[in-house]
Amino acid sequence: MSHHILIVDDEAEIRSLLEQFLSFSGYRITTVATAREALAHAAATPPDLVISDLQLEESDGLDLIAKLKAAQPGLPVILLTSVLFDRQTVEENLSKRVSAYLPKTTPLTQLLAEIQRLLATGK
Amino acid sequence: MKDPTIKRVLALFALVTVVLVAVAAHAVRQLNRTATASDWVNRTHALINELEGIAAATQSAEGSLRVYALTRDPRDLAAVRRSQVRLADHLEVAGALARDQAATAAQVARLATLAETRNAFARELGAAPPESLAALLAADAASTAVEELLRLVERLVTEQMDLLAARDQESFLQAQTTRWTIGLGVAVNFLLLAAGAWLIRDDILMRRRAAAAMATANAQLESRVQARTAELSAANERLNLENLERRWANQALEHQLRYNHLIINSITDLVFVITKAANISRINPAVEHDTGWLAKDLINRPLPELVRLTAGELPLQRALKEGHDLRDLPAILHRNEGGEVPVRFTFYPLRDGNNVVGGVVILNRTTA
Repeated sequence: MSHHILIVDDEAEIRSLLEQFLSFSGYRITTVATAREALAHAAATPPDLVISDLQLEESDGLDLIAKLKAAQPGLPVILLTSVLFDRQTVEENLSKRVSAYLPKTTPLTQLLAEIQRLLATGK
Repeated sequence: MKDPTIKRVLALFALVTVVLVAVAAHAVRQLNRTATASDWVNRTHALINELEGIAAATQSAEGSLRVYALTRDPRDLAAVRRSQVRLADHLEVAGALARDQAATAAQVARLATLAETRNAFARELGAAPPESLAALLAADAASTAVEELLRLVERLVTEQMDLLAARDQESFLQAQTTRWTIGLGVAVNFLLLAAGAWLIRDDILMRRRAAAAMATANAQLESRVQARTAELSAANERLNLENLERRWANQALEHQLRYNHLIINSITDLVFVITKAANISRINPAVEHDTGWLAKDLINRPLPELVRLTAGELPLQRALKEGHDLRDLPAILHRNEGGEVPVRFTFYPLRDGNNVVGGVVILNRTTA
């Protein structure tokens, strides 16, 4: 049974590209545009990993991640955003809340490697 | 019909047919010869019988004639005539049997002549008065007709027997030739059929080998096609992934650019990007809104034509040259419709590595 990944991003192009690439890599993919949809899907079909944007239309990605982790502790979450944080901010504020922070300029192969690492370690 | 094996097999069957026809023709000819020879043999035997009958009738007639000469009994004369009739019959039949053989026919004719001589003598003797019989018989004693007739008959019989023997030898040789011919024909046909069978067997083996080779080639081709298909599929997957990666990189750049624009355009203060020569290279929408100038009128225009520092141009030139900030300096902004607005002037140099390549000017409207 392949792993289930939930992708949360308000941009359709990004959702589509991630879905194509990760489906091609053998994962079951669910894509949603809003935090509300993400919570509903996660409640119905708990994902093995979540990839979320930081800036969502109705909410904040970090708030969504907090709610998802409250329902499913230990859920690996990748924060994928075009907002560039400096290393200190990432280490101090984000590392405790997400499993990995990746800029949207990260190559897909590197994103895949991060997904595989997180799914293998379960963090 | 391009198959060489079929051509060869058909040629072999044609040869078999030719040999069969030749053997059959030879056998038929030999049968006809045998039938003809059999007729000849029968006729020759009949001739010999007739010749022996001629000899017997002659001797019987001569015997009866001698008895009549002694007894003068008409019954003996009648016996002579009966023998002469038989002799005549034998001569007639012998003549008919020998009519195809000129020499024999001539000799049979000679026999008839001699027989006629004896018949004439018998008739003379039968008609002669008793007192002249002795003289006639004495005169006949010197006649050699009977002896000549009997010798001729014996010679003819001997000749016919020799001919029979020769013909028998010839028939034997013909039979032997026929046996050899038929045997040879059968043997040749057997060899030809064996060669045909060998050709067919060889062809079948060759076709089986060709079919096996074809199957192997097909399997190899199938394997190569599968390998090539797998390679193409893998290449297609790589291309798809590369395409996705390229689209992802493009959207990331676009997203980043759009985000940067969003940040600048969202600022309500007036933002100018200037070159190292203090020419305007970019503005935010707030500039157009607050000055009434359009971007196309301001781009590449010297900033001091639009914004004048109260302290003069020197501080900006120095800041661009030395790469240091100017913060919150008083300045005057010239609006498009001719009015002037007091603003606070802030400058940040733009650095590319260690080089100052321009700067960012931010104007805050003064509230007082």
